[in-house]
Amino acid sequence: MRANLIAVLVLSGIGFLWTYPFLWMVSAAFKTQLGVFSGGAGLIPQPLELGNFARAWKSAGFSVLLFNTVFYATASATIEVIKSSTCGYVLARYEFPGRRLLYWLVVATLFVPLATVLLPQFLLVERLGLLNTRAGVVLGQSSGAGALYVLLFVHFFRRIPQDLFDSANLDGASFPRTFLLMLPLARPVIAVVVIFQFLQSWNDFNVPLVYTIGQPSLQNLAVGMFAFQGAHANDWSGFAAATLMSLLPVLAVFLAFQGYFVGGLAGAVKE
Amino acid sequence: VPDAEIDFVSATSAEPILDRTTSQQSRSTYLWILLFLLPFLVLYLGFTLWPLVATAAYSTFDWDGIGALSRFVGLGNYLTIAADPTFWRSLSNTLIFALLNTAIKLPATLFLAVLLTRRWLWMKRFFRTIFFLPVIIPVSVAGLVFTYLLNPSNGALNAFLRASGLVHQPVDLLGHDGTAILVLALISVWQIFGQYLVYWMAALQMVPADLYDAAEIDGCGEWAKLIRITLPLILPIAVIIAMLAFINALYVFGLVVTLTSGGPGHATYVMSYFIYVEAFSQIPFRYGYASAAALLYGLLALVFIASQAHLVRRTGENRRAYAE
Repeated sequence: MRANLIAVLVLSGIGFLWTYPFLWMVSAAFKTQLGVFSGGAGLIPQPLELGNFARAWKSAGFSVLLFNTVFYATASATIEVIKSSTCGYVLARYEFPGRRLLYWLVVATLFVPLATVLLPQFLLVERLGLLNTRAGVVLGQSSGAGALYVLLFVHFFRRIPQDLFDSANLDGASFPRTFLLMLPLARPVIAVVVIFQFLQSWNDFNVPLVYTIGQPSLQNLAVGMFAFQGAHANDWSGFAAATLMSLLPVLAVFLAFQGYFVGGLAGAVKE
Repeated sequence: VPDAEIDFVSATSAEPILDRTTSQQSRSTYLWILLFLLPFLVLYLGFTLWPLVATAAYSTFDWDGIGALSRFVGLGNYLTIAADPTFWRSLSNTLIFALLNTAIKLPATLFLAVLLTRRWLWMKRFFRTIFFLPVIIPVSVAGLVFTYLLNPSNGALNAFLRASGLVHQPVDLLGHDGTAILVLALISVWQIFGQYLVYWMAALQMVPADLYDAAEIDGCGEWAKLIRITLPLILPIAVIIAMLAFINALYVFGLVVTLTSGGPGHATYVMSYFIYVEAFSQIPFRYGYASAAALLYGLLALVFIASQAHLVRRTGENRRAYAE
């Protein structure tokens, strides 16, 4: 009981400091520009200003940024799930020439830093004519952690009992049909891949920065907000309003899937 | 962010062993295998393998990206790098940042994860959400918010310090050579905190609850339970989490761009930022030079990863030997 009181008090104190940048942003979104400037550390908007949201929505091209971000995150997560599940499945269950080589290459390139390969990637995308297109950004984002996801699927499919495959074969299931039967079993792995890749893409600053330099209308929130702040250096209340609006959707997603996030990871650990 | 996955040990410790001999696979099976590998192979060749080879090749040329690769300079770029103080500063900053960041975030997140998984604690869900929250802020936005909060003229920190009489002159934490990298590391801890919290909480779920029950019957307090049960049991995963933490810290980029642009001077230049500036943000582009730096950076990461993977495997083996 006493430990509980102390813990809750200490946690509340630290928690307040922890969320202070958020709270500041929320309050700044309702402050006037002058109010932000003179308000110091205070959190109460005085006077209250409600026009920031409309201004930010218009001048940041906010709806476009939001659309781009959701599009990139969804597309790259989908691509990652497809390519890593099919590749992991085959690596785990079938013998073919070059299997060992491919497996060890994947392991060896698990953590190549993006900065090491970014320039040739950029030149490749440019040569494909995809620079300053959405497809280019999605391609750039769908290559980063791919090796890791493949290993997760390999590890999972390897542990599916052979009996399941035998009975699928007895039923005359074809190669793709067997895969589709097994795929739903990998739900925890799929969840982890989707969550990781979605967050990765959502927060990605480097790929969109380099690939959309000529096209602000193709940027995601991370880069677009940076550009917005650069162009409206004094409009902190507009920036705060835009940030707040950009966080609401992902906050909703997070609160809805919070249990799944920890659960999915824990499931992957236990497997 | 995603960094990566907890089940790294078992995923890499041995190559997959097939349960059956599959020598009599039919032709159509091979076609399906090829078809299944194709999406991954195409992207892997185009965006991982070829770029590695190309980076190595570019690094031996003096090339601004315009026209053909014609001025071969051999190891010239590497010699220039060896004499470039900015490169060495970036290298040491990257290591300092990664060490500071890891040394702060790992113990802090572990401690909090243990606390937040105690059965007796009130409002667990609420606190979990609070500490996870910053993960959903894009790194660049976090950087911008902190530039404002920390700015010396009217930021929240200085307003608070002055109002409480702690300082009389404004403090510019990001403007000083000595403090900038530390502040950067701390902000990064704030931003990534929730992710490691979740990793530890997932790891802690692996400890069987009846072990704690038994320990309680033997009269063990929380501290004894932590030292004698929790830590030894999660050690193999702890080593992996530590490895991921350090590697991800080596890759810092967005925070540097938005918070300091490498400044003041070169006080917060890190490797990825150094490469970015050389390749993309100053004219003429120095693709050859940037590639040489990029390759060295990749090798550095590889050395760290290989040595830590070795540690991971040894911990796993020790544990297995202990279990037997």
